[in-house]
Amino acid sequence: MAERVFITGMGMITAIGDTVAANLHSLRQQQSGLGYTRYLDTIYREVLPVAEVKHDDEALREMAGVPGQPQYTRTTLLGLIAMQEAWQQAGINDPLREPAGFINASTVGGMCDTERVYFDLIDPSKDGPFLQYIDTLDCADSTQRIADRMGFTGYITTISTACSSSANAIMYGARLIKQGLQRRVVCGGTEALTAFTLNGFNSLKNIDKQPCRPFDQQRNGLNLGEGAAYLVLESETLARENGSTILAELSGYCNSNEAFHPTAPSPEGDGAFAAMQQALAMSGRSIADVQYVNVHGTATLNNDVSEGKALQRLFGREVPPFSSTKPFTGHALAAAGAIEAIYSVLAIRQGIIFPNLHFSEQMEELQIVPETRLLEQQPVRTVISNSFGFGGNNASLVISKYEG
Amino acid sequence: MKVKCYIQGIAAITPQHTFEGDIFAQPLESCSSNLLSVREPDYKAYIPANSLRRMSRMLKMGLTTAIKCLQDSGLGAPGAIVTGTGKGSLQDTERFLKDIRQYNERALNPTPFIQSTYNAVNGMIAVQQQCTTYNNTFVHRGFSFEHALLDSMLLLQEGTPHTLTGAFDEMTEEHCYIKSRIGMWKTEKVNSAQLYEHPSPGTIAGEGAVFFALSARATAQSYARIAGLQLFYKPQPGFLAAALPAFLQQQGLSPRDIDLVLTGRNADSNYAHFYQQLEAPLPGACQLPFKHLCGEYETAGAFATWLAAHILKAQQAPRQWFPMVPAFPERVERILLYNHFFGEQHVLMLLERAGAHGG
Repeated sequence: MAERVFITGMGMITAIGDTVAANLHSLRQQQSGLGYTRYLDTIYREVLPVAEVKHDDEALREMAGVPGQPQYTRTTLLGLIAMQEAWQQAGINDPLREPAGFINASTVGGMCDTERVYFDLIDPSKDGPFLQYIDTLDCADSTQRIADRMGFTGYITTISTACSSSANAIMYGARLIKQGLQRRVVCGGTEALTAFTLNGFNSLKNIDKQPCRPFDQQRNGLNLGEGAAYLVLESETLARENGSTILAELSGYCNSNEAFHPTAPSPEGDGAFAAMQQALAMSGRSIADVQYVNVHGTATLNNDVSEGKALQRLFGREVPPFSSTKPFTGHALAAAGAIEAIYSVLAIRQGIIFPNLHFSEQMEELQIVPETRLLEQQPVRTVISNSFGFGGNNASLVISKYEG
Repeated sequence: MKVKCYIQGIAAITPQHTFEGDIFAQPLESCSSNLLSVREPDYKAYIPANSLRRMSRMLKMGLTTAIKCLQDSGLGAPGAIVTGTGKGSLQDTERFLKDIRQYNERALNPTPFIQSTYNAVNGMIAVQQQCTTYNNTFVHRGFSFEHALLDSMLLLQEGTPHTLTGAFDEMTEEHCYIKSRIGMWKTEKVNSAQLYEHPSPGTIAGEGAVFFALSARATAQSYARIAGLQLFYKPQPGFLAAALPAFLQQQGLSPRDIDLVLTGRNADSNYAHFYQQLEAPLPGACQLPFKHLCGEYETAGAFATWLAAHILKAQQAPRQWFPMVPAFPERVERILLYNHFFGEQHVLMLLERAGAHGG
């Protein structure tokens, strides 16, 4: 029988906190990370809210332990900070004793730094230290710099499936473990705000000038965010051998595709439905076992209709409490799936359901509304976490309480 | 992994005449610009004209290769679509960066942004094939195609009947210039057909799109079996001396069992030492270099896999492409592929003639 896969460490940095504990604190305080950018060079500085990590690059370099080293882009720095926390929590001291894989996720690599110097790169008359950014544009750069700094020796790769990237990274890592190719894999993603992405989503008229309002009749788009999050996955055998602290079990997952449109989901939520249904079937849990759904909930017009319909199709009249945490963190694209997987673990371990901020009016297409209150002391044993993206890429994870 | 992985269909758009016709009769194409560009087919036979107009070059190449591959396989819609790409649609990335600057972030056309996302090709294939199952894209330099392959093998092991697995990368003049600034390419212009006579720092650039239909079951139509795959990240300079015999031993083979070696040799004197290590553990084995055919790029390993599959199925090599190789083996049961991307991501792959070895 295939190995069970356990989560034995977590690390993160987002607009609402530099650590997992700080994120939990902000979630409990119902403190959103949305505001105007301090670091991004764009004409939308004071127009489009974003959820920016509250440190400049120099401060991040200090936190990551690489002061004065400009070859580390913001994407890499966020990743390093989250990774160091994940290793620490998992008690990984000697990476050579048990080779660990690293499956990272990225949507635009080091674009955050490259876009500032791109026109110098293509101008033969310009020369200078910016040349060291040449290699940072691609998605592998941050993965390898993090891997080298930490000393990873197992499988190393990067996945890019837009907004579902890090959910797919988690899935791939789990499958490497289940098939016995690796016993420990660290999975997640890192994303820094860029003018490239901000303009991309803005050109699609997908960005709200107000703080985003998931599942609200008046919702008008998403807000971008940045951050990084990693989960340490271990096989049951290794976790027992090692005496690892088991935080939760990754009990199910599914990757499905809409096959509908490059940037829009099918109106009835076919892909979302299939992803959730099959992930749940794999976990061996039934719909009655699900106490909370951390929805993708970007607050775009299309996503929330199709995801909401998929929830109604799957759960019928018994839709469990669900909420989008994107009003806290913004949509951190490649990091979103891993950030929300960690929130799902927190929901289970703390017995807490997070509020869907900024909701006031039920959507006319749906019979359901998100949970708007912070609920404590809830018996949360199984959570579904959704990540849906461009290219019709859907991913659902099922995270369950570890009960032996 | 226990699963057997057979190549049931293939298609390739590359700098050689690989898309249509008999490859064993196609002339060797070369260039003297240090950039081998692909020979684009007429896409209209594969994509409706109104869709074609909106699509950038990489998307057309990727989608067309995927469609042709599925046609070649005779299999229906795939059970999964898995790809690798080092750079995605580079032209769209470049265009959106320029649009942002030129129009000062206002009234931008979203198409280049959408098409620049690395999974855009996958999404389009899914729509075209109405394939709602597993879909993934790896974007890790010289591991992009290889992880797509590994993922596909995991899927076959998990019971997916067949996968569409591919790789694509394009090179633009602009990007070629950018990479020249860190010494990736030779500073002197060389004729690609004589690449190996010019050892010096750097190599020549290339591009291509290659897709495979993979299945756990062999048929009379099978091209080859992918029997082994091992990846090495930033290994020590002398690593092959131990790693190669160990790899063969894992497959129950000795060096004598390898009939042909495909080597990623590219005349880059900075990293030539890795390829030189192939000689000692495989004395006398016939070595076929392939970078003079496709150039160097992140997913060049897919081109080599395509070439190996053809050789194993036809039991002959397109000899006209290899004037530098004096003699070819009579029979080819097994091909070993060794490739790396600028010394960082190294790949060993074993391919066997389908059906010849008990499966």
